[in-house]
Amino acid sequence: MAHFVYPVPANAQPGTAYSAQPAYVAATPAQAAYGTATPRPGQAYESYPAAHATTQYAYTTRTQVAVTPAVSYDQPKAYYQPAPAATAYTAAEAHYQTAKPVFTTGAAGFTAQRPASQPKPPAVQVTTASQSYAYSAASTPAVNTYTSAYNNPTTTQSSISGTNIVPGYDAAVYSAASSYYQQQQAAKAIGTWAAKKPGTQPFKAKPKGPPKTPQLHYCDVCKISCAGPQTYREHLEGQKHKKKEAAMKGAATPVVRGGHNQLRCELCDVTCTGADAYAAHIRGAKHQKVVKLHTKLGKPIPSTDPVLVTTTGNSTVSVPKATSSTISAVGAGNKTVAKSTTSSVNIVKKVVATPKITFVGGTTLRTTGAKTEEVKAAPEPAAAAKPAEPMQTSSDDLKDDEHLNILGEKDVAPVGHEYIEEVRNEQGKTVSFNCKLCECKFNDPNAKEMHLKGRRHRLQYKKKVDPNLQVEVKPSIRARKVQEDKLRRQSQKEDFWRRREQEDRWRDEMRMEEEMYWEQHRRYDMEYMHRGPMGMMGPRGPFGAGPGPMIRKPESSDDRHVNAKHAAIYPTEVELQAVQTIVSACERALKQTSDVLADSDGPKPEEKKEIKKEEATTDAKQTEKVKEEPANTNRVLKGVMRVGVLAKGLLLHGDLNVNLVVLCSEKPTRTLLERMADSLPKQLATVTEDKYEVKRCVEEAAIIVTAEKEPNPSCTITLTSPVMREANTTEGETVSVKDPPDVLDRQKCLAALAALRHAKWFQARATGLPSCVIVIRILRDLCQRVPTWSHLSQWSMELLVEKCVSSGGPNMSPGDALRRIFECISSGIILPGGPGLYDPCEKDPTNALASLTNQMREDLTASAQHALRLVAFRQIHKVLAMDPLPPPRFPRQRFNNPRKRRHTGSGEGTEEGAEKKEKKEGEEATTEAAATTK
Amino acid sequence: MRGRGGPPMGRGMMRPNFRPGPPFRAFIPHIPFDLVQCESTFPRAKSAPEEKPFTEALLKRNVDLTPSAPEQASVLALVSKIQTILDNLVVTPGAFEAAQIEEVRQVGSFKKGTMMTGHNVADIVVLLKTLPTKEAVAALGSKVQEELKLLEPIEGKVLTMLTNDSGFEMSSAEASVKCLITTIPPNLKKLDPELHLDGKIMQSHLAAIRHSRWFEENAQHSSIKVLIRLLKDLRNRFEGLQPLTPWIIELLSHFAVVNHPSRQPLAINGAFRRSLQLLSAGLFLPGSVGIADPCEQGTVRVHVVMTLEQQDQVCFTAQTLLRVLSHGGFKQILGLEGNASIATEMSVWEGVVVTPSDKAYEKIEKKEDEEEMEEDADESVRRKTCSVKQYQNIQSICHPETQEDADES
Repeated sequence: MAHFVYPVPANAQPGTAYSAQPAYVAATPAQAAYGTATPRPGQAYESYPAAHATTQYAYTTRTQVAVTPAVSYDQPKAYYQPAPAATAYTAAEAHYQTAKPVFTTGAAGFTAQRPASQPKPPAVQVTTASQSYAYSAASTPAVNTYTSAYNNPTTTQSSISGTNIVPGYDAAVYSAASSYYQQQQAAKAIGTWAAKKPGTQPFKAKPKGPPKTPQLHYCDVCKISCAGPQTYREHLEGQKHKKKEAAMKGAATPVVRGGHNQLRCELCDVTCTGADAYAAHIRGAKHQKVVKLHTKLGKPIPSTDPVLVTTTGNSTVSVPKATSSTISAVGAGNKTVAKSTTSSVNIVKKVVATPKITFVGGTTLRTTGAKTEEVKAAPEPAAAAKPAEPMQTSSDDLKDDEHLNILGEKDVAPVGHEYIEEVRNEQGKTVSFNCKLCECKFNDPNAKEMHLKGRRHRLQYKKKVDPNLQVEVKPSIRARKVQEDKLRRQSQKEDFWRRREQEDRWRDEMRMEEEMYWEQHRRYDMEYMHRGPMGMMGPRGPFGAGPGPMIRKPESSDDRHVNAKHAAIYPTEVELQAVQTIVSACERALKQTSDVLADSDGPKPEEKKEIKKEEATTDAKQTEKVKEEPANTNRVLKGVMRVGVLAKGLLLHGDLNVNLVVLCSEKPTRTLLERMADSLPKQLATVTEDKYEVKRCVEEAAIIVTAEKEPNPSCTITLTSPVMREANTTEGETVSVKDPPDVLDRQKCLAALAALRHAKWFQARATGLPSCVIVIRILRDLCQRVPTWSHLSQWSMELLVEKCVSSGGPNMSPGDALRRIFECISSGIILPGGPGLYDPCEKDPTNALASLTNQMREDLTASAQHALRLVAFRQIHKVLAMDPLPPPRFPRQRFNNPRKRRHTGSGEGTEEGAEKKEKKEGEEATTEAAATTK
Repeated sequence: MRGRGGPPMGRGMMRPNFRPGPPFRAFIPHIPFDLVQCESTFPRAKSAPEEKPFTEALLKRNVDLTPSAPEQASVLALVSKIQTILDNLVVTPGAFEAAQIEEVRQVGSFKKGTMMTGHNVADIVVLLKTLPTKEAVAALGSKVQEELKLLEPIEGKVLTMLTNDSGFEMSSAEASVKCLITTIPPNLKKLDPELHLDGKIMQSHLAAIRHSRWFEENAQHSSIKVLIRLLKDLRNRFEGLQPLTPWIIELLSHFAVVNHPSRQPLAINGAFRRSLQLLSAGLFLPGSVGIADPCEQGTVRVHVVMTLEQQDQVCFTAQTLLRVLSHGGFKQILGLEGNASIATEMSVWEGVVVTPSDKAYEKIEKKEDEEEMEEDADESVRRKTCSVKQYQNIQSICHPETQEDADES
């Protein structure tokens, strides 16, 4: 087991290469990391046997090699392609051994051959079986074109290590890896592949050394050689060449017939419609001719791995097969000397490319390799054109299929052998085949195989022999188009929903902002606006939206009464000031107390963390605080938050007792409370000059701070911890086990936690609702005044109001909202048969009204019913316990007056004297009237 | 009819110039709380109470209230005979000189299938082409009686015929048929109170035709019919609900059964409770949107036929009944046990003392004083303090069936 940690510098260049590749930008960093790292695992395999034939492997050797050809990094793809391989590696050995038949076979082939290859002298071409591969291997010395860039880690490896020791193994592994990757990818939509334009690649790859054999007239563009300068010139002037050139200059993607996946032989610039066709091409004379030519020219020979060409929309995706380059390297024997021998030693390598990414590869080989001379200055690090030493020609047909199966085609078992008739000639040699099912003839054994696997044949077989045979539905071009359309539509749909989601989120955020606005406004109201009648108007929406199209209800008599009452019960400025002072003093003192406690408790210096002193009133801030909490676990007192009327902004005139909740990291104990209570006066003294009395109240789990200055506001600081609630949900036993002996009263702590949730809920739901806060204040006053109503808890009242107002349509005026509350209770919502009030702040369905007795419910309902009728019959002042307001002093016509009189304007002349305020209201009303006029 | 009797519909709507001046106030009715409409906002926090006994009691009560088959048969027999006679008069205009009949239509509870036992009265509206003089009506009555006697020599003798303000009534021992006389709309302007029947009554009879047509088209669900019967029974037994007219009850029943988000008719128990809830929540209080009369042009809120005092009365009676109901007093409410005192006297249900609601409405005089003081400042006050007489006029216009079914109780 050897661990290789790749030095980062080696990766530096690849990094840039990556960034240059737009297609990869989208790739996750992890992938990118894989990408950069990937060449290495493979290379490492190669190189270490080369050097030492031991598992001890210095990566650096390899790095140096890699660095030299750094130029070649301008072909970024080189790094991408390996990525799949890497993934495959990480994907656990299982893939290689069990899940991957590909690998197994490959390995089998490899092992089988190895004995054979081992003793062999360098550059031995192994046997006829693989002849066809041999010459593709010959291409290796050539400088890599973009294909190679993609491509084969193997080529890369060979170039770097200078030897290609166990190509078979590599081939196997890579084929396994890539086909695994392939499958994975194929399983997904093809469209997700990184978009690549293979067509542009060759030109990027251009910076190669001059061709070695200029005596040949070779046209790079068309990849043909010409017999002489004359023909060459003619060719260059020819239409065909120009077309091709133009197409290339335009960086056009290679012309791909059909809109679907094709396999492409980069060398010949030929696209094949299927794996079989591709295999046939590779075996074919034309391809071999080209290979020969390129070899002669010393041109880079792309691997025989097909490049998958997909055209979906305008993105062309090329995914080369990483696998078979090793195989192709076989033929390179002319120029290379393979000294390597392989021995079968298991080496499990663990390659760590970056701290976060670990590659685990399992190999079963130890190889030795000899360096071979570099044939060519390879711009490609990967493809440093080293004639790899082929020991291995073992790529057999079996593998071939697998290699080529990158279209995601299902490998089907050939069926209906028995229906193939062999037609023999006189000598008894098979000259052709006849398929009885399909009534067709062919004379190539390969074609026979292809035919047996072919769709047409299978269809016939299904029809005539075995109806159970599964024939893959081959999408026709149209079907394919439909399919593509579907995919596109799907993606559009997804896009649409994503956008929708974004919009929603955006709207939510806007809402949040709005809420914050309300909140600010409310506070502003509280602090400054209280004086005039303007302050009575209650929360106003953000202005500046211009006169909205919505119809605002004119202020009714009910509204006026409610607003007037609201103004009357609103706390005075002195009170607000006093409360503000004591709260901020307490908060600051608590923070310091927290610091002190943390210092004394935790010897570890913690990073200074602010306990949020700012308003604990906005949701955002609270969450922020929550987020911060985990950061310092040592601190006992984690934060202080305002709850109750203070947080909700429901302070009334005369409310001088406010509540804070201190969140502790553990269950708060009596000891903690006392420590706090001891420390608090000192801290209070430091933060303020005012005198405060600190009283501990253990049974309430609280400390009560009272100001000695008039009007003697007091602040109750309750200790609690989220842990208390968790304990609640689990078994009672665990609670008793874990609890410190002097833990504070659990009910009180839970109540404090609930208060916290209620405050959050309130800010989220009630604060932004027009009229809601006003009506809650009014009802709070009612609950304080009327004994019948005192049974209705603050929380259930808030819930009730919110539900009523939110369900009552937008823009309820305060008067309407109040009436609606009474209506709601009148219709029996809290009566025994009613639905109750669902508490949104509890995990289990909870009735917020559960504590009321039936008599209380009855009385409350009766009272609300009477109040409702009082409101309806214009006696709202009785409900609000105030004097009836005189009607606004607008000059009005008597009822009997004909409307005409208004138009004379005579009446209006006298109206000018009306008070300013009224006039303003009048204007408002008039515009509203204009809006409402039907 | 615009806004009559209700809060202001907004005067000066057409005012062309918007100079700053007296504020203009459009009447935007308040939509009262309706639990069924906001069920999603009020998810059940506790299990629903057992409803079975209540439902059974409702159904039993309905059976009790439905007229028996003989009753129905006798009414039907009488109605069909009279209908035949009147139809003959339509077909042969020359047979009867005093008046010409344009059309004969059945209306009312018999036609709608909501007739109650013990009240075997069917209504037929006779639309005259000629002016409905009192003499003509009497002559028509006599004519019908004669024909009936010819048709049924024996039974016909038992029949009595009485003329009244709205037409005439034929009664046998078991059943009676009210023939409501009206005339074609063009004639309504020509009516002379001295010579003819009252024009308002004529109009109400025309409205009755519209009502039965609307009912036929919209309220054929049996839940609605059952609920109508139950509510009528409630109204008959509890004095506080007397102001509810049959037409209001029909609309309310339709509203309670059908009008909710899913449009699926509610079960009878839910619908009955909902009716009380709606009344309690002030559906028929001033300022509320109420129920718009589907058979009148414009938006006429059906409850404005009731005076403010009556509105209050209906509301607080319903509120008391709702509370009694929620404490388990459905038998008393349905009249299966006890008496109507639960609506007016304190009662105890499982230890819970239910105090009947008291009226909130204050006397008109005081309001009018205020109104004087306020110089008619607040229009809605003015609207609400319309004289009772005015209301009654409106009532007779909009709600003919007060007459039509007036003596149902």
